[in-house]
Amino acid sequence: MAQNNNLHGCTMAADINSMEKTNDADYRMSKIKSRIAWTIATIFALIQLVLTLTPFFFMIMNSFRKQFDMLQQGVFHLPDPWYFNNYVEVVTHGFFGYFFRSVVVVAISLVLMLIISAFAAYPLARMRFRLNGLIYAMIVAMMAVPMHVTLIPIFKLTTTVGFYDSLKALIGPYVAFALPMSVFILTAFMKTIPREIEESAEIDGCNRYQNFFMMILPLSKSGLSTLSIYNGVSMWNEFAFANTLLITPSKKTLPLALGQFKGEHSLDIPIIMAVLTLSVLPMITLFIIFQDKLVKGMMAGAVKG
Amino acid sequence: MKKKVFATFLATALTVTSIVGCGGGSTSTTAPASGGDDTAKTEATETTEATDKAESTDAAEKTESTDTADATTEEASDGAKTSDKNIPTLTTEPLTITLWDIATEDPAKSTQESAVQRFMADYPNITVNQVHQQNDNYKQQLVVAMSSGQAPNMYIHWGGGPMAEYYKSGFANDITDMYAKYDHPDFIDAAVAQSTYDGKMLAIPFGGLSGCDIFYNKTIFAEQGIEVPETIDDLEAACAKLKEAGYTPFALANASKWTGSMYYMYLVARHSGNDEFDAAYTQENGGSFTSPAFIYAAEKIQDWVKKGYFPDGVNSLTADDNQDRALLYDGSAAMMLHGSWQVAGIRSDNEEWYNENIGVFRFPEDSEAKANGVPQNVEIGTAIGNGFSFNCFKEDGSVDQDMLDACYVLATQYYNDDTYNQMQMESGNIPSIKGFDAQVDDPNNRVVVDVFFNASNVQLWYDQYLPASVTEVHKNCMTELFGLEKTPEEIGQEQDEAMKKAIAEQ
Amino acid sequence: MDKSNNVGLAQAKARSTAKAATVFLLPALLLITIFIVYPVIDTFVISGYKWNGISADRIFVGLDNWKALLKDAMFWKSFQHNLIVMVFSILLQIPIGMLLATFLDAGGKKFNIFKIIWFLPYLMSSVAIAFLFIYALATNGGLISSLATIFNGKRTTIDLLGTAPNALYTVIGVMAWQFTPFYMVYFIAGYGNIDTTIYEAAVIDGATRGQYIRLIAIPLLGPIFKTACTMSLIGSLKYFDMIWNMTQGGPSGSTELMATYMYKLSFQQFNMGYGSCVAAGMFILITAIALLFNKVFKVKEDY
Repeated sequence: MAQNNNLHGCTMAADINSMEKTNDADYRMSKIKSRIAWTIATIFALIQLVLTLTPFFFMIMNSFRKQFDMLQQGVFHLPDPWYFNNYVEVVTHGFFGYFFRSVVVVAISLVLMLIISAFAAYPLARMRFRLNGLIYAMIVAMMAVPMHVTLIPIFKLTTTVGFYDSLKALIGPYVAFALPMSVFILTAFMKTIPREIEESAEIDGCNRYQNFFMMILPLSKSGLSTLSIYNGVSMWNEFAFANTLLITPSKKTLPLALGQFKGEHSLDIPIIMAVLTLSVLPMITLFIIFQDKLVKGMMAGAVKG
Repeated sequence: MKKKVFATFLATALTVTSIVGCGGGSTSTTAPASGGDDTAKTEATETTEATDKAESTDAAEKTESTDTADATTEEASDGAKTSDKNIPTLTTEPLTITLWDIATEDPAKSTQESAVQRFMADYPNITVNQVHQQNDNYKQQLVVAMSSGQAPNMYIHWGGGPMAEYYKSGFANDITDMYAKYDHPDFIDAAVAQSTYDGKMLAIPFGGLSGCDIFYNKTIFAEQGIEVPETIDDLEAACAKLKEAGYTPFALANASKWTGSMYYMYLVARHSGNDEFDAAYTQENGGSFTSPAFIYAAEKIQDWVKKGYFPDGVNSLTADDNQDRALLYDGSAAMMLHGSWQVAGIRSDNEEWYNENIGVFRFPEDSEAKANGVPQNVEIGTAIGNGFSFNCFKEDGSVDQDMLDACYVLATQYYNDDTYNQMQMESGNIPSIKGFDAQVDDPNNRVVVDVFFNASNVQLWYDQYLPASVTEVHKNCMTELFGLEKTPEEIGQEQDEAMKKAIAEQ
Repeated sequence: MDKSNNVGLAQAKARSTAKAATVFLLPALLLITIFIVYPVIDTFVISGYKWNGISADRIFVGLDNWKALLKDAMFWKSFQHNLIVMVFSILLQIPIGMLLATFLDAGGKKFNIFKIIWFLPYLMSSVAIAFLFIYALATNGGLISSLATIFNGKRTTIDLLGTAPNALYTVIGVMAWQFTPFYMVYFIAGYGNIDTTIYEAAVIDGATRGQYIRLIAIPLLGPIFKTACTMSLIGSLKYFDMIWNMTQGGPSGSTELMATYMYKLSFQQFNMGYGSCVAAGMFILITAIALLFNKVFKVKEDY
């Protein structure tokens, strides 16, 4: 992490200044260049906008159609006529129960996961001890485990401890499976926090634990919010564990709600699109609310404060 | 994922599964009173009871009095609780049964739940813990539960290779003796055969039969002046005409692979009856997937692909997402060879359109083979749809007879009773019980059932019948066949190789 | 309060570090051991048996499964597919994610709407993505084929999912569509982690925005960049979900990945013993590649 040492020096910027702003012609040139760059970037941005929006848009549109109309007119066609019953169906089939249970499981798992992974990442990123490298490598290696090999052992464990068919059963696997990657990411994030901060805190008399809670944890906010997004979405959509560990309809989570509309030989696609639309909406809302946290630089305040 | 089951099924004319009496005639086996067509019902019952069963070993089976059939009609609405039935006496101790099915949605869900509720009302000391698993991951769920000692006591499957595997691994009770001794619905022979492995009865069917036929757009046929084809030559002529007029003759979504396999299976069956497939299955006496019928079928398919009888990019379309139905609906394709569950599917999508446009005919005959004496009534399909197997064992591995009795009664007297069968018929399923063919009123289902009941033999879908490892190869071969990536000989050899390997590993 | 620190010997400090490290690491290690390490060991054990996955009897076959694995053309073909997916995922997802993040970082708050919409694909479940892309790419009435027909002036079919080489690259494209937004957010967070005083200083010194990004920000993102690559690498080597929903490994095995192959063997073909062997082999290969990647990268970084 040699770069960390450069963080506080502005020498680099100064160099650039002397190198590139030698005369006005160059400066004007760079203005033009910048304008071209912005134009290209905007075109690129708009293309990306269309690419991401189109499928999403049609997911929603198809949830307002009857299956026959959808198949006959084509999937990429606006609803004609509009059909709202899919949503009625979905909502009257216990959607909110599924929804609520998903919220509970994801919220608990996410909070636990964030705390535990921040705990683990701290010593790995910022302490020197003998097994550091080995433990880190082991945790990274656990990212390589395909989840399906754990189904049977986890099922056995769950039934043995009596958690089978209850929401509790999901929390362990959800947290555990999110850990390797989260520790991995957080370690990287924590390594970018300048050592001086910790050192100054130590001089102020903080011990390691205080250090962690007062300094490192708040400073890892952007890493933690990235993790919440990544793991929140995957827990929200998680199917395999939920399907294996929960069997009673009144205990199932949202991704299993799809099964209600999918039989052996029948599949009502628009209803499924309605379920998917309803399950993605809260995620979008949360993202809109919390995305701000992602861009805020937080180092300045920390150093000054 | 359609799980197909299948069975070799001898027509009503041939041997009958006996138990002529066995209360076979009793309530549960007769058709529901809905149609009120007594004559038809009686006839059907008579046919089924006409002959004696060959394979039943248990001499204890009762000879039957026909009068039970009469009683039935009156009792139909009353549930199946009749004291005079020959069923095991169930325990009065509290008992909990775990049951797994895949009835996640209506109408299957309410039909099957009501069977369980009727059972629990009659036997209040027995609790049935009915779990609806999702079809997509069902096999995985069973593997996980079985390997962890948490297998359900009663579970759905589709027969074929997996059923044998469950039995061999100790997760299915042998119910041969019980089936001979106690009352049960008078299942059609194909269904019994399909529930049997190695001479042992391992399952009770409850899902109804599925045939495989060609759905066609009547409006397009009329507009083009095309008659329903009787022979494969007629079919090809119709295809040429349709192609000429700008239609895609067949709606096929072959990314699913079992869909393309239907064409392959039928062409093989029409060309050689069951002989060549049976030989290829054992790989004995020169049997091979490169024998003439297989080459004929593959060549025909590739010829049709080249002529544009299938949609462009046929291997990219998937039946799981209804892309084949979409081709029928938008009027670009004229025919679709598919499982008979499509009747219910299309009807529920748009009943009006279905009534106006959709007709069904059986896969046409191979006139040349017919002239050579090859039977033209070997059909493709499944006779039980779904069956229940029972996993009722005690800790020490011995049979838990109390529980098994309860499961048996539930599967034979509550599933498969009149109320149940009537609900099945209403949702477009035809119970695999003798006599029910007479009850079908949808004209298309009528065709399906007639084809089925006139078959000399019903060949189970290859992808369910073959060992699982061969199935995978067979399915890939279907992609390569329709994609013109391999020659008929090459796909034959690949399947031979896989079959030989599977046999060696047995 | 700080007296103890001042007096502390180097050794005592090391000991207290070890103690603190243990306390911090314990919960994570415990969970990982129970839910991941143990199943992995179990997988290696099972790989020594011939077992259908459900029966009470397993037959010990020693290294037979492993020997078969080394010669299993399908496994190595899947591995090769995984490698292709890996290379293209890293080449597509990371740079595009980086570009988008840079654009958003430069644009600041007024580009929030872009950020929200660009992020949508990541929020959709694999089921919906698979379904919509199957239809979008359909040869009949799909978006791509329809566009091609318009441009060509005559009926044109572009078969992206139904033929062998195309299908794999198509799936890679869809994966990129799904995961790029995550890397975008990840890099935004990375930018957020850079001390704002650096930017301020650079501006005061007269650097343009472009210069700042090129010469200061991107080098500072080094470690973040490396973790992103590692994640993409591991993610694409064990990928399962969307491919399973979209192609199930077809057509004729051309999109078969190690994970789908393993799943079919273990749960559909009653071949748990060999399936576990595939899983274990997969685990070894992925770990090796990930560690190798990190090693190579580290050398560069330090230099």
